[in-house]
Amino acid sequence: MGWMQADSGDPQLRCLICEALNTMDVVVCAECSAPMALVHDSVTQGRAPQIISVLGDSNVGKTVYLGFLLDMLSQRANEFEAIPKGAYSVDLQQNVVASMTQRQFPAKTAMEPDRWNWAYYQARKSGGRRSKWYDLVMPDLAGESLAAEIANPATYRVIRSLLTKSAGAMLLVDAALAANGATRPDFFALKMMSYIDSLFQTKRDAKVQTPIAIVLCKADHCPESFDDTRRFVQGSLNRLWNLCESRFQTVEYFACSSVGSLAYATGADDDGLDFARPIPLHTSLQGILEPFEWLISRM
Amino acid sequence: MLRGFFRQDAPTGGGRAGVDEDPLRACMQLERFGVIVTRGERWRAHPDYENVFQAALDAIDQRFSLVPEGFVSMPTTVTDEPGCPETDHETEPFLLARTCVTNAQYQKFVDAGSYEDLEIWPESIWPHLIGFQDQTGKAGPRFWRGGRHDEAKGDHPVVGICAYEAATYANWAGFRLPTEAEWQMAASWRIRTSAHVFRRYPWGDSHDPRRCNTWASGRGGTVPVGTYTEGAAPNGVLQLIGNVWEWTASDLEMTDDKGRPVVGDMLLKAIRGGAFDTYFSCQATSHFRTGLACLARAHNVGFRCVLDAGRRDG
Repeated sequence: MGWMQADSGDPQLRCLICEALNTMDVVVCAECSAPMALVHDSVTQGRAPQIISVLGDSNVGKTVYLGFLLDMLSQRANEFEAIPKGAYSVDLQQNVVASMTQRQFPAKTAMEPDRWNWAYYQARKSGGRRSKWYDLVMPDLAGESLAAEIANPATYRVIRSLLTKSAGAMLLVDAALAANGATRPDFFALKMMSYIDSLFQTKRDAKVQTPIAIVLCKADHCPESFDDTRRFVQGSLNRLWNLCESRFQTVEYFACSSVGSLAYATGADDDGLDFARPIPLHTSLQGILEPFEWLISRM
Repeated sequence: MLRGFFRQDAPTGGGRAGVDEDPLRACMQLERFGVIVTRGERWRAHPDYENVFQAALDAIDQRFSLVPEGFVSMPTTVTDEPGCPETDHETEPFLLARTCVTNAQYQKFVDAGSYEDLEIWPESIWPHLIGFQDQTGKAGPRFWRGGRHDEAKGDHPVVGICAYEAATYANWAGFRLPTEAEWQMAASWRIRTSAHVFRRYPWGDSHDPRRCNTWASGRGGTVPVGTYTEGAAPNGVLQLIGNVWEWTASDLEMTDDKGRPVVGDMLLKAIRGGAFDTYFSCQATSHFRTGLACLARAHNVGFRCVLDAGRRDG
């Protein structure tokens, strides 16, 4: 199948992400730190999975979004069936559910690739025997790692390899910050999309074909982003909008929210310094599945 | 100066197209039953007073249920685990609406010109009134259009209204919002008997998606207020759990585990009960406490009314 190569009697496995050769007993790829369990599971399936990259700036909510998405799929939301391949695939959703039920946000994703959560799922939309199964790999990447890779390409080779192999991508953008007039969300998104554009190196006037869902997170802070998402992006993320219109063939815009009400515990921490810890008071899931549903219909 | 922004020639209850000119009959027409029953003394000399008063009582009898006196314990920290700090509250008997206020009921409030009648609103809210608009810029709940609700959802709970809109409607109709303790008493049914009975849900102690409209029921939106009868409380009150969160009259007062106050960007009002998009069943129970910004006009928050038991004129 191309993943295994016998060499001098020592069987080896080719990493699913960067295709580097690794010995059979390694847990993570020696080159890019992607889990080798992905290869073992894909060998079992007999086919290579499709990769969906979930991208976004630090603190935009990638972990919470992906955790809820996977948990909803596991519970057959919107007639989807989803089966985790390997116990490691459940870690992310379990972590997110445990944290949010305790009214805490999950810990910040570590920058080291070997500490990222990788989810490998089989999913399909219920609809009889003819409905297609998708083998999907969706890693939870650290926003700071993405930023570092954009600033200095090849800092994180696994990100470059991941994006090059992705059948689709979601770019999460902080709608709350954008609505308040902050320019960081627009600039990060612009850089991320420019990076993706440069990866595919299409001919002049030819657009990038990979489908990309632009997902406005924390949209509960700005309800108008639900009412007319395209208009919101055009008004508050104009640089992103212009680039998408110029260079990307298949882009759609979505608004989502997972927190129904956000509060803060205020006061002094153990060192006597003032702080405000965000507390998700309760969940209210809106628009979590729609970007995923759209994306796999375009893949 | 603010008064100049609003019309003053349309007093609530009369003078509007389709509304009876007579104030007493107008109150009946607009379903302001609480006003007739608790503030009707002024109309005692009216020739129809006895009939209208009785009709209002009958309407209240049909639409409200008695919640007996009792007591509740409410957790005071965001981490709601066994053994966490609690405060005890006693509640007097009160009448609770069996259903949330519907779009059709709220339409009467809008049609009566209430959004232009400054007198019925707290003065501190006057600067915000101009922002209480629907999708087309007309005064009304956020998701309405042209000052009208979706006719197909007349019997759904009204949503897209902030805490002040809910409280003002309740007062306009002669009622009020429940306190957090009263709401919890109605949902947990912790009446004073020799046995300390505390229900996690109005129907018992186990979550059941067939008895309430939460995320697990798969509806994806609000349903008519008269459905999910299997989830009724012992006194027939419906949908205390699920469908929409419900505004209460109480401010949310909570701390984290280290005693630090929990606050929002603006005043948080307590809401209870969970909604159609509440994902975790532990957040749609009789005792789960949470709050929402007082001016938030969310897609999943409604309200129901309360009348103090035994409070009536006549």
